[in-house]
Amino acid sequence: MLKKLSLLALLAVLVGALSGVAAIVYQKVYIETIGEGFVNVVSIANMFKYALAGAFIAAIGYFLLSLVLKGKTDMVFNLLFVILTFASILYPIGHQLPLDQETPELFPGLAVPMHFFPALGWFALKPLFGKSI
Amino acid sequence: MKRLVIFSSTLLLTAAVFAFAALAQAWNISGKYNIAFSTNEASGIFKTFKGTIAFDEANLAASNFSVSVDVASINTGNALMNKHAKSDEWFDAAKYPEIRYTSKKIAKAGAGYQVTGDLEIHGVKKEFTIPFTFKRAGNGATFNGTFKVNRNDFHIGKPGGDVADMVTVTIAVPVVKG
Repeated sequence: MLKKLSLLALLAVLVGALSGVAAIVYQKVYIETIGEGFVNVVSIANMFKYALAGAFIAAIGYFLLSLVLKGKTDMVFNLLFVILTFASILYPIGHQLPLDQETPELFPGLAVPMHFFPALGWFALKPLFGKSI
Repeated sequence: MKRLVIFSSTLLLTAAVFAFAALAQAWNISGKYNIAFSTNEASGIFKTFKGTIAFDEANLAASNFSVSVDVASINTGNALMNKHAKSDEWFDAAKYPEIRYTSKKIAKAGAGYQVTGDLEIHGVKKEFTIPFTFKRAGNGATFNGTFKVNRNDFHIGKPGGDVADMVTVTIAVPVVKG
């Protein structure tokens, strides 16, 4: 149990870090192509903070589901993770930026893809842990 | 002939002095103005504001405002809300691109002033009184005012609903001598 928890925590850290790096790279690309990066709102600290938070919530959710579902955990968890990730894009779409921020219509284009990074990171890294988790 | 020239010159000079005295100080709007609105559901600013302002505390009769706001410059901080606000359900920016205010009378009111004039929003023109203060600072000054507008008076949005009928408008317009 403790080993599983430790590995899930490690997975969460790796997924959070990978998602944070992916978000930074995506923001750089966005700035280069669109000319706006909303750096005051989507700061590097915020990107890592939210990516790590998302990954840890996923890890806790996975652990709790595994206690109930045993062998079917991955099937149900992956589906739930995708659904919740899709639902989470409502937040950047509805988010109210500071009024001095120009072109708020470009904000969802930056923030919405970032919401998928933790799920992508999870699906990419989880298989590396095999059946240990 | 000499007397006629002197008389004409004196008359012209006097007329010029009186004409100058009758004009209120003209002010140019500086770029750091703030035209903001807020309701229970949404708040935002209008980014483009222009017009002519002539104001003299000692000569209110000659003072006047003629200003306008570009409706399309609305910014609520959210793209969907901006689009919604500009749509025909609310401001209909395509059909009514400007909010205009033209003063008719300015009077002293307590520590500040109040201007009565025609406010035109969404194609509806109504007489409207705005209280404001005026503070000089060096070569410039600032107009400040807060007032409420009933959006139903101007057929903006549907009556009732989630957004309150009364919209609080706050203006802060720094000006420099023109």
